[in-house]
Amino acid sequence: MRFSLNFIQEFLKVNIRPRELASFLTMAGMEVERLEKRASDWIFDIEVTTNRYDWLSILGISREIATILGKKLKVNYPVSVATPPLTTRDIVIEDKKDCPYYIGRRIEGVRVSASEAWLQERILNCGLTLVNDIVDITNYSMLKWGNPLHAFDADKLEGNIYIRRAKKNESLVGIDGKERVLGKENLVIADSKKVIALAGIIGGKNTEVTEATKNIFLEAAVFSPLTVRRSRRAVGLDTESSYRFERVVPPHLLGHASYEAAKLIADVSGGKNKGYKAAGKRPQLTKKNITISLNSLGAYLGLAPLKSKVKKILESLDFKVKDLSKGKIVVSPSQSRFDIKSEVDVYEEFSRIYGYDKIPDQIPFLKRNLATSSQADYYHFKGELANLVALLGFKEIITYSLEEKEQLRIGLSADVSSEALAEGGASAKAGDKDVIELINPLRSQENALRSNLLFGMAKSLRHNLNRTLKDTSTLTGTGNQGSLRLFEIADTYSKSNKGFLETPTLALAVSGKEGDFFLLKGALEKILSFLNISNFEFKEDSLNNFTNSLKVDVGNCNLGFLGKLDQQQKKNLDLKEDLFFAQLDLSICAKRRGQKKYKPFSPYPVIWRDISISLKKSIKFKEVEGVIKAKGNYLAGLAIVDVYGGKDILPEYKAFTLRIFYQSTEKTLTSSEVDSFHNQIRQSLSQQEGVSLR
Amino acid sequence: MENEIKRLEEEFQRDFQQVNSPKELEILKIKYLGRKSTFTQLFSRIPTLAKEERGTWGKRLNTFKQKITSLLESKISQVKSREEKIDLTPPSISPESGSRHILSTVSEKICSIFEKLGFVTIEGKEIEEEWYNFEALNIPLEHPSREAFDTFYLDLPEKDKGKYLLRSHTSPSQIRVMQGAKPPLAVISPGRVYRPDEVDATHSFMFHQIEGFAVDKDINFAHLKGVLLHFAREFFSTEVELRFRPHFFPFTEPSAEVDISCFICRRQKIAARGPLRPRSEASEPRQRREDRKQRTENSKNKCSVCKGKGWLEILGCGMIHPKVLKACRIDSKKYKGFAFGMGLERIAMLKYGIDDIRLFYENDVRFLRQFSL
Repeated sequence: MRFSLNFIQEFLKVNIRPRELASFLTMAGMEVERLEKRASDWIFDIEVTTNRYDWLSILGISREIATILGKKLKVNYPVSVATPPLTTRDIVIEDKKDCPYYIGRRIEGVRVSASEAWLQERILNCGLTLVNDIVDITNYSMLKWGNPLHAFDADKLEGNIYIRRAKKNESLVGIDGKERVLGKENLVIADSKKVIALAGIIGGKNTEVTEATKNIFLEAAVFSPLTVRRSRRAVGLDTESSYRFERVVPPHLLGHASYEAAKLIADVSGGKNKGYKAAGKRPQLTKKNITISLNSLGAYLGLAPLKSKVKKILESLDFKVKDLSKGKIVVSPSQSRFDIKSEVDVYEEFSRIYGYDKIPDQIPFLKRNLATSSQADYYHFKGELANLVALLGFKEIITYSLEEKEQLRIGLSADVSSEALAEGGASAKAGDKDVIELINPLRSQENALRSNLLFGMAKSLRHNLNRTLKDTSTLTGTGNQGSLRLFEIADTYSKSNKGFLETPTLALAVSGKEGDFFLLKGALEKILSFLNISNFEFKEDSLNNFTNSLKVDVGNCNLGFLGKLDQQQKKNLDLKEDLFFAQLDLSICAKRRGQKKYKPFSPYPVIWRDISISLKKSIKFKEVEGVIKAKGNYLAGLAIVDVYGGKDILPEYKAFTLRIFYQSTEKTLTSSEVDSFHNQIRQSLSQQEGVSLR
Repeated sequence: MENEIKRLEEEFQRDFQQVNSPKELEILKIKYLGRKSTFTQLFSRIPTLAKEERGTWGKRLNTFKQKITSLLESKISQVKSREEKIDLTPPSISPESGSRHILSTVSEKICSIFEKLGFVTIEGKEIEEEWYNFEALNIPLEHPSREAFDTFYLDLPEKDKGKYLLRSHTSPSQIRVMQGAKPPLAVISPGRVYRPDEVDATHSFMFHQIEGFAVDKDINFAHLKGVLLHFAREFFSTEVELRFRPHFFPFTEPSAEVDISCFICRRQKIAARGPLRPRSEASEPRQRREDRKQRTENSKNKCSVCKGKGWLEILGCGMIHPKVLKACRIDSKKYKGFAFGMGLERIAMLKYGIDDIRLFYENDVRFLRQFSL
């Protein structure tokens, strides 16, 4: 809302500096967003909150200023003259719920021209545009009293005036020149033949006041806020008029406003008031008396206000205050404040004018229900986990939860194991038909809730890889040589038989070369060890869009997966490097999380022996590991310490050096003991199909 | 002969002192013990000596040889074990560390400030039912106050609490907690929220909020003010002031918007110290002099953060509306509460001078790295 200081002066003499006034208004809740000097006038742009419909008029703003300045606002309401009666047409209201009250006035013999200078200034300085003196006067009246009026060219009206719902397929060309097809959600003003206005929103071109207009039919009415709101939403139009009707217009001013406007029209355009007719009944305000106790007011705000102070402030708001015994008072709000309905409304009015800055600052001793403590862990669980992953060298990212459903459908739909579903988790792999869609998306690129974190991750990787932004390698100290390690913790969403699942999920990604996969696998092991989930297994999996993948299981329960994105998806996602991606269901991880417990370690030395192995590529390392573990006396660990691909290695073989660590918890192993264990392992390995020792 | 040996010893000592590299030491060894050395000549003279003298001089010369050899060898090994100095001036190798996202860090920091006052952190769900997002918070259907909360709806079958939607604020957490546990309550609830806003430098269809509330018999507005001032001073700076401006939110009454004094240009702080009287430069206290300089600076170019206003809006708050308590079956005659909500992105942007909200979701490594561990 925009108002001008000169307009305010019609009601109230303001003799403080405009900047000071602006700051007072802001601190009373009428935030002045902009202040501008224009000729002899000052323009205030204010934010009007939805509860303060009364600030949508100069009268209401003047009342607020009077309160702030401690002045009494004296308003000379124009005396509404209700004669002579209009006899030429009837006003028929179809439903009093839509329109409780309607006043029509006829002004004859007008000469339409441009507005006088003072009127132009009012209209322009309050941010409206000039039309002609008749329309400008209706706008002036709306600004002044808060009641939108509408002037019709009376000679273009045929028969009676009807306030009714639009019939199917009726339409109206508005004064903005646009045609709108109407329906039963639209309340219209019609004459006997046609629709002439969208009630409370916009007038029709067919009855518009033009320079040729001689006689005026002036409408002043109260329309139901909800009806106007639904109607204007249906046609997608928001006007100064609908804005006010939606928020309540003051019915007690309707007669005054309509009379003053009619008189002004007659005065400036040489016409004569020739008719008055009202339909319906002016809505009567039920008198609200609110009893408040000063103790409660004080306890609410953290103050001990004096009764005299409270009374003074409430009276400055034009509220009537009556003393009761025992520190209680009865407050009856002014006629223009239907928003004051209960004690807290009065508390707010008092504290607003008293000044929030005068209320002390105190830190309370907060008590809390123990029941809330058990729920608390989740946020911190995720935080701790994120800290760990960051320590592993991954950078946390945040990506949008909304994605394109087509992309999600391609997604990771693999064989969803029934066990995993039974666990209620594994949403990462939930069937893609279970994607939750938005009914009213902003754009098609964001029309569904994501069921995995892959695509957000890929997008972030793409952004960085396209700019050759990678981790600097600690070995070489040069940029652009390392891989890129990112992670995200966010919810994933899917439909389920119970409704839906919203699952906290961890995603890890490493981009780079083949070997970087093992960095990802190692990170996952570290995370599981941090969670004290020890009995997990990596099992072969066949996820869609992954060249190969492993699932992470604990017994029959799936915690997540890791894998290498296949070349097709890599191309689709426009990634310049291979992507190794892992995802864990954190709701399951949280449930499976174990207690940290000290595990004693052997004080005796670790001794190692190497074996150089050529392994047929069709045989998995896991089988070699199995053989070693089966034999494993004093086995303390395995590591691949070298991989080679010399000419002497057959193409269907891969060759590597395996280091086997031995340790006892009871004694220092002797060299010959270790040799003997090691030879047993060599023996067993050499008997394996596809394994040759070199 | 004795004289010759003595001279040789002295000569060696002189040479030995001046020699440092292994190579030079090798040359020295040849010079004193080699085939053409004086020592070898002296040694070759022994057969020419009288029989009884041969043993004495032989011993004498052997001692000399041993002495030189051991001196040379110990010096050689000493020199060899000494490392060569390297050039320490080339650029460093920067170890790449992992990092938390700045929004996560800020969120955790804020939560921890409130936790120290006794709040407990409880997250809500992002998929919500209409009743929790609106009606329970005193935002009736078809009311203008709902306009501020445009919302994404979801294709999930409607249940008794209305349509499913993506929460447009974190306030539904209040309702969820109050339905699940009776007062006293003090809860802080961070998370993602969604509104159909086109993405630009200051808008995003997804962003983060932190909601906080406390409900007990004797909670009041002064407590709200105190708790938030404490937060602002812990999080931004001990110097900041807060300004509570009356505002309207359907779920609180009285309601306020809270501004923080601009900690970049410190305009309000300076203003609060009072007017500046012109004095001679010398007698002007240092603080005043600095204030005056700052103020001149400010009037020359408006602070880009607060646009010269001196105040920055950071959050909305108020006393929980009795209707909200009632919706959660809490007796509003007996219990009162305060609540507040803030936008995480805005807070982070203000604190770190980030000028585009899209930077948070783009995840450019050059951005992420600035907030690494």
